[in-house]
Amino acid sequence: MEKVIIIRYAEIHLKGKNRGYFEHVFSVNLERALKGLRHELHRTSGRYLLAKFDESRTDEILSRLSRVFGVHSYSVGLCTGNSMDEIYEAALAVAPAAGTFKVVTHRADKKYSMTSMEISSEIGGRLLKDRKGLKVDVHTPQHTVYLDVRENGTALAFSAFEHGAGGMPVGSSGKGLLLISGGIDSPVAGYLMAKRGMSVEFLHFHSYPYTNDSAKEKVKELAKLLSGYTLTGKLITLNVAHIQEEIHRRCAPELNVTLLRRFMFRLAEKIAEDRSAKCLITGESLGQVASQTIEGITSSNAVVSLPVLRPLIGFDKEEIIGIAKKIGTFETSVLPFEDCCTVFLPEFPATRPKLSFIEEEEGKLDVPALLEEALSSREEFLIS
Amino acid sequence: MIYLDNAATTKPDNAALCRAIEFARENFFNPSALYGGGICVQGEIEKARKFLLSRIAGEEFGLIFTSGGTEADNQAVFCGARRGNAVTTAGEHAAVYQSFTELKNRGVKPRFARLNRDGSVDGDDLLSLVDGETGLVSVVHVNNETGAVNDILSLAKRVKEKNPRCLFHSDGVQAFGKIPFRLSKEIDLYSVSAHKIGGLKGTGALFRRKTLALLPLILGGGQEKGLRSGTENVLGILCFAYAAEKKFSSLERDAARLETLKEWIFSALDGQIFTRISPEGGSPYLLTVSARGLRGEILQRLLEARGVIVGTGSACSSKKPFSRVIEACGYEKEVLGGVLRLSFCPETTEEEAHFAAKALNECARELSERVR
Repeated sequence: MEKVIIIRYAEIHLKGKNRGYFEHVFSVNLERALKGLRHELHRTSGRYLLAKFDESRTDEILSRLSRVFGVHSYSVGLCTGNSMDEIYEAALAVAPAAGTFKVVTHRADKKYSMTSMEISSEIGGRLLKDRKGLKVDVHTPQHTVYLDVRENGTALAFSAFEHGAGGMPVGSSGKGLLLISGGIDSPVAGYLMAKRGMSVEFLHFHSYPYTNDSAKEKVKELAKLLSGYTLTGKLITLNVAHIQEEIHRRCAPELNVTLLRRFMFRLAEKIAEDRSAKCLITGESLGQVASQTIEGITSSNAVVSLPVLRPLIGFDKEEIIGIAKKIGTFETSVLPFEDCCTVFLPEFPATRPKLSFIEEEEGKLDVPALLEEALSSREEFLIS
Repeated sequence: MIYLDNAATTKPDNAALCRAIEFARENFFNPSALYGGGICVQGEIEKARKFLLSRIAGEEFGLIFTSGGTEADNQAVFCGARRGNAVTTAGEHAAVYQSFTELKNRGVKPRFARLNRDGSVDGDDLLSLVDGETGLVSVVHVNNETGAVNDILSLAKRVKEKNPRCLFHSDGVQAFGKIPFRLSKEIDLYSVSAHKIGGLKGTGALFRRKTLALLPLILGGGQEKGLRSGTENVLGILCFAYAAEKKFSSLERDAARLETLKEWIFSALDGQIFTRISPEGGSPYLLTVSARGLRGEILQRLLEARGVIVGTGSACSSKKPFSRVIEACGYEKEVLGGVLRLSFCPETTEEEAHFAAKALNECARELSERVR
């Protein structure tokens, strides 16, 4: 009898001919998530079995598994031989001490000498006899003992399902570049895209000397937290201070943010091309701030040809905060360090800027030179 | 690097640190132990205590070693203010200010006295808040943001005339080892910190009138006569006393020299840009100015790039951009945003002051040009 963790995957089983590819990415991700922790990972039909792990570190393993996308659910259980006595011994070990219960058996080995119903009734009967505090209730039991008779002469016993992170294995849906600010929203946007299987790299705009290194450290910390889900992480930073100064000096103040965002999108596209990312990802939510109106979005989209994914577009702030808390980025996001948006913030930003006016104001700037200068400030950090 | 943020912390005094390490490495015993080694360590701690006491207090005072100024302030406030109301100033360090804010959850009503424009407390306002129900009055000795010196001896006397049963505490973190004074009979509690005068972080002390029935904040093995449990921070305590020896030996000479240096720096600053916040006659260790219309923390970063480290008056927070204390002095937004605090130590040289003043002027001009 051996302690194991049973890992079931989510949508992958819906895949057809390319299912093997998804399974491959999934198992690579599981290995990556468990790096540094002793274990053996075995694929069985429709699930993975984690064995030979350090039992004193079970909680750490489970916590890491809970962040791997593609995991539907997982259970800590026992793996044993498929004789009735062995199965019973395992069932006894996972069964509750008292209360109502039922036994549910799944039998992958259809040649097994007993049917699922027969196994359930036999094991249930023995449990009732040996454990006086137990009572059977097949409709609304307090506890369920699950038995799974496998084809390879083994059987599994467990008593609970933990929900996994769901989604698709990271890396199975291409790569995107997340514009990460240090606020609450962008990490959540990155999380949601990773959940759908996208690898995510991070781009942060700072504004030294108007912003400080603490802001950059905060973004590194956020990227690190997200890398628990995205599994890899590269953070690239660019300095846009001079762009902000030039906009401030030469253009209509109400367009400060609109114009800066157009610069950010252009820079992001250049970085995305360089990093072979197929799209930009932002944390924009419609109408949340002045620049996140449909006019603002139109004006930023106009300067790039890559698709811009905005997974939070229909989310309320409260919903976003809920996810940020769940994934553990909220506390870091609300640390009070300014990101580059707040220093040159105009008193009355334009909420519905006309593209013709924007282009006219932008015409006062040497856009290519400013982009070049910002790109030359590039710094890269490997997040792990 | 020219380090002008000595009010935040000072570089540890090397001789003091080496001496303390040498002792603590050899005499690693628990000071509470009853064998020779423990007694020896306890003896050295008592010597340190006696020395620190002797510098500013008479025999009627005792001293509790704490984990720093903040703990000393917390103990004074929470053990001093038990009922009725407690009075302090709007110019306190957060260690006192936040403790007073917490008092209302413990059934004591906090009252905050107004500040004068230089950061000192409005004495008449303070006195008007004291009544028969006041259990504790706490007034910072040297305001850590402006350098204004409160005349705590006279304030304590006036408070005691109005309510003799009320306790008087002062946060002396920026005064101890820097400006000459002695505790008077009207003062009951006085907090100090080691790392502002060349000691280590994590060590402080609370001076207390011996007849005072003070309560402990931390319970345990009964160290410090039961008033502060926890095995003594031997290294920190000894380093504190050794560093204080040096500071007190030249206290008046240093203060006089730094007063001249401080005034020189101010005179060298571009009057078109910089407004003075620190009062004349304030602590010689501290000069607070504001680069009107500019942002202090941005200037701080430009100065750092030139190798000059200064403090700012603003917390690094976009939600609370201004210093609570300087705001309470009554300054307008334009001034509040540009606050810079230069703070010195006896090792600060005239050359450093020259370089820093020049850098301040140049950085401020550069920044006003960039954000024009």
